[in-house]
Amino acid sequence: MKMTTQIAFDNMKYHRSRNILIGIAIMLTTLLLFVVPSVGKSMIDTQNTAVNKYYPTWHAIYPNVDTDTMQKLVLHHDIERYGLMINVGEMMLENADVSLVYLDGNAADLYRVLPERGCIPTQADEIVVSQGILEALGQQADIGDSITVPYQIYRGAGLDYMQEKEFRVCGFLEDTDLSREQKVYTAFVSEAFAKNEIPQEQLEYRILAQVTGRDSVITTGIEERIRNIARQFGIDEKTVRINDEYLAANYVDPSTVPMIAGLMLIIVAAGIITIYSIYYVSMNQRVREFGRIKAIGATRHQLRQIVLWEGLWVAAIAIPTGLLLGTAAVRLIMTSLVRFMAGDGFYFNALREVIANGEAPMLYVWAYALAVLITLCTVYLSLLKPMRTLSSVSEIEAMRCHSTAKKTKSVRAGYTNLTIGRLTMRNLADNKKKSAVTIVSMAITGVLIMVVATVLSCATPRQCADNSILGAYEISPVIEENNKEHPERAWSEIQQNNPLNDTLKEQIERLDGVERVDVFSELRVTADMMGEDWNYLNGIPEAYADELEHNIIKGTVTYEELKSGDKVIMDNVMNYWYPELDVGTKVNLTVHDGERTFEKEFEIAAIGNYRSGLSNYAYFYMAKEAVDALSAYNSSGYFHVIADKKDDAELSQSIEELVLSSGRLEMRTWQQQYAQWKNNMTMTSTACYVFLGILGAISVMNLVNTMINSVHVRRKELGMMQAVGMSDRQLMKMLQMEGLFYTLGTLVVSVGAGSLIGYPVFLYAKASKMLEITTYHYPFAAAVIVSATLFAVQALLAFAVAKSVHRDALIDRVRFQE
Amino acid sequence: MNTDIILQLEDLVKYYGSGESLVRAVDHTSLQVERGRFTAIVGRSGSGKSTLLHLIGGLDRPDEGRVIIDGTDIFSLKNDQLAQFRRKKIGFVFQDYNLIPSLNVWENVVLPLGLDSRKVDTAQINEILRKIGLEDKKNAMPSVLSGGQKQRTAIARALASKPAIILADEPTGNLDSQTELDVVSLLKSCVQEFGQTLVMITHDETIAQMADRIIEIEDGRIGGKVEN
Repeated sequence: MKMTTQIAFDNMKYHRSRNILIGIAIMLTTLLLFVVPSVGKSMIDTQNTAVNKYYPTWHAIYPNVDTDTMQKLVLHHDIERYGLMINVGEMMLENADVSLVYLDGNAADLYRVLPERGCIPTQADEIVVSQGILEALGQQADIGDSITVPYQIYRGAGLDYMQEKEFRVCGFLEDTDLSREQKVYTAFVSEAFAKNEIPQEQLEYRILAQVTGRDSVITTGIEERIRNIARQFGIDEKTVRINDEYLAANYVDPSTVPMIAGLMLIIVAAGIITIYSIYYVSMNQRVREFGRIKAIGATRHQLRQIVLWEGLWVAAIAIPTGLLLGTAAVRLIMTSLVRFMAGDGFYFNALREVIANGEAPMLYVWAYALAVLITLCTVYLSLLKPMRTLSSVSEIEAMRCHSTAKKTKSVRAGYTNLTIGRLTMRNLADNKKKSAVTIVSMAITGVLIMVVATVLSCATPRQCADNSILGAYEISPVIEENNKEHPERAWSEIQQNNPLNDTLKEQIERLDGVERVDVFSELRVTADMMGEDWNYLNGIPEAYADELEHNIIKGTVTYEELKSGDKVIMDNVMNYWYPELDVGTKVNLTVHDGERTFEKEFEIAAIGNYRSGLSNYAYFYMAKEAVDALSAYNSSGYFHVIADKKDDAELSQSIEELVLSSGRLEMRTWQQQYAQWKNNMTMTSTACYVFLGILGAISVMNLVNTMINSVHVRRKELGMMQAVGMSDRQLMKMLQMEGLFYTLGTLVVSVGAGSLIGYPVFLYAKASKMLEITTYHYPFAAAVIVSATLFAVQALLAFAVAKSVHRDALIDRVRFQE
Repeated sequence: MNTDIILQLEDLVKYYGSGESLVRAVDHTSLQVERGRFTAIVGRSGSGKSTLLHLIGGLDRPDEGRVIIDGTDIFSLKNDQLAQFRRKKIGFVFQDYNLIPSLNVWENVVLPLGLDSRKVDTAQINEILRKIGLEDKKNAMPSVLSGGQKQRTAIARALASKPAIILADEPTGNLDSQTELDVVSLLKSCVQEFGQTLVMITHDETIAQMADRIIEIEDGRIGGKVEN
């Protein structure tokens, strides 16, 4: 071992207590640096695995593409993988609908419909069927057997005359419960069969495509790529089917990566501040030590090496420990997520299954490497200043420098009478910079805790639920545009035959426990400046006039004025997307009412900030009667059921029955929202507080170090005071008071600055509708917990430190020389 | 017991180590010191004189024996009681001064009084400072004082609480010969003037000669006593 490395190793052992603290700080830093990206990536992978397991994996289907275009389109550089499909025809059966479809291997894979037995047909007479199809055909067969199939082929505009042909079964598909129930099946035939039956010029392919970027973390813009390809090949964009479920589930919020990076930066900053200040606080002591080494011939480079290596030796022990703990933590977090995920339905069940079966990776080699690398950088950065300071120590200065005799003023007015309090003040005043470094570095975490706590305390599940839904139940029509199978779900169709009608309203109002039904109207609007996006004119009933007026943040308008139909209040959210829209702006909107459209100019009379229960994401507010007047149809968009109790199971069931019997309605309940928010907030708060708690633990190392150091450096001084009569109790009291000073200092800065900064952060959260926050709640609980924790840690420390003083006999302390 | 006996050591024993490396620092030593007298303890380096003084001052505990100061068996006291006893009854002067670097001269001097929650008699402290020539250095910090001035501050501190006994451990060890004489003279005159008892360790014969009584220590035992 090189001499410098050896000295560094010995130093590490000699300054054991301080290095243990640095080690703990490094370990916790490593832990967080490992856990944050690991959990982030693992959650993304879990979602991907769940989706990939159950959803078709194509991004888009380009329908009705002729052979020529197909051959060119599949070569497009944005197409990563594709499969081909042809709707060949239908079986002629009375008791079931069976489509005859050609899919190549890729298409079957992208659709997750690979035969459960056998293979995809390749010969003109091969077919893949299911047990259900055979039953509908009234025939029995296994792979290799022949069946006779009556069928019609799509030729030209529709189905051609019936034909009959003998096919050889080459594979079997699994029947789903749904297909059996509805007797709707699909049989696979070969491309050769399709080409034999359909004239070349009439062949229309459906191209199932995955576009590039599927595996990238951020998949924004995938839809744009899909549309772009359609435009380039002259395919009508509206006919392109996009796999929304798959994309939505795979879509990673673009803020995820910056958020993870931001968290990691905070961790690194906390690590650097802590490790640096631990060194800083004991710098005086070590100046002498390094001066001696320099005096006997060490170069500056060697001194830097000694400081660096001492840090690296500690890191060599702390980092693996942190990684081990981190590994356990990641496993624990991911498995506890199963318990926290309250969402119901297919997707959440899939997620739970994926986690429970360990199907998605939780641990990544790169995450280990990243954590090691960043932690080493953190250690290096924290040591830069100590390296510079200690390597540039002058030999003479260092030899002169007594750790206990710092440069102080030559003369100072003193107290006539001394008390323990005054002795404490003297020491703190002499170490202003150290005290400040300790307090500031601890307070930074404190401020962070208070700010986060402010946001979290403003988001109570009850309030979140109140804000995200009006009343106890919200009923709205199922709206789906461009679904060929459900044209009645298009908004224009709904307006003309709206299930939210007076009959339903009366039915609901007659139910026991229902106070009233508030009806919100909606009219779809588009505008040139909004491009392809549309928004809604939101017709607010008079019962909400006060709320509407009260939450205006810019401009003024009364509910009465909103009845004119010329003025609107714009939601503040619109300002993010269209900053050019302001109070007084006149916007020309195209109003879509049923089949007709017309242009109308509206003046933005005010800008307001409203809860999502009121807005329902329709961001131009008017009086309900004004919206109704603009429409020739029934434009009711939402029924908000105000009930006596929000958790009336009987009422809930009655309303649900009404909704289900309509078949065209869906509902949300306050109770569901509350349960969901409660779960979300528990998960979010736990994650936030655990993270901040560890961050807090890192910075508490500072306090520990400062206290230990202050006793270590003053070992002789304290011994002296005891020799001239300071009792153990007085010593304890003095240390307690010193600790108390740090605690109070930290608290004043943390709670003070934290509360001050917390308020603007609340305003920001409110403006950006984060967590449905609308009302400010001071985070008392967090303030109390932070204070109590600090006091407890401080008291324990003072006790431990005072005890440690007694490890040496008084006379040894009095004699002690560095 | 003679009422004029302020300090009494009874068969005091303090050993360090064991077996081959056993050091008999204080080996069955008994001694009496009368009130108002200046006693010098002399001996070679390693003879056990410092250990003896530390035991007398209650800074270290003996293996056997008793130390009685002003009628109190100090090792029968609990730690906190002993600390209180020390600040009331014992004044220390150490070789390396042991001033508190963050306190100025005045504060160093009144420290034992402060610890004892006693109100400072300003006139008395001023008188002590005047006597030891530090009247104009009241606000000076220890770091700017010379060795002699530091030791005089330490003496003032020892005198301030009007202790029953002052224990000085080679108080002139770090000083040049002129300052050494000045300091010991000062110490002696103060002790006389304030009517206190002084027990001083020294290896310097000249200084020892200034004492009323010289006790020689050899291998932890009293080798001889000389009355001047």
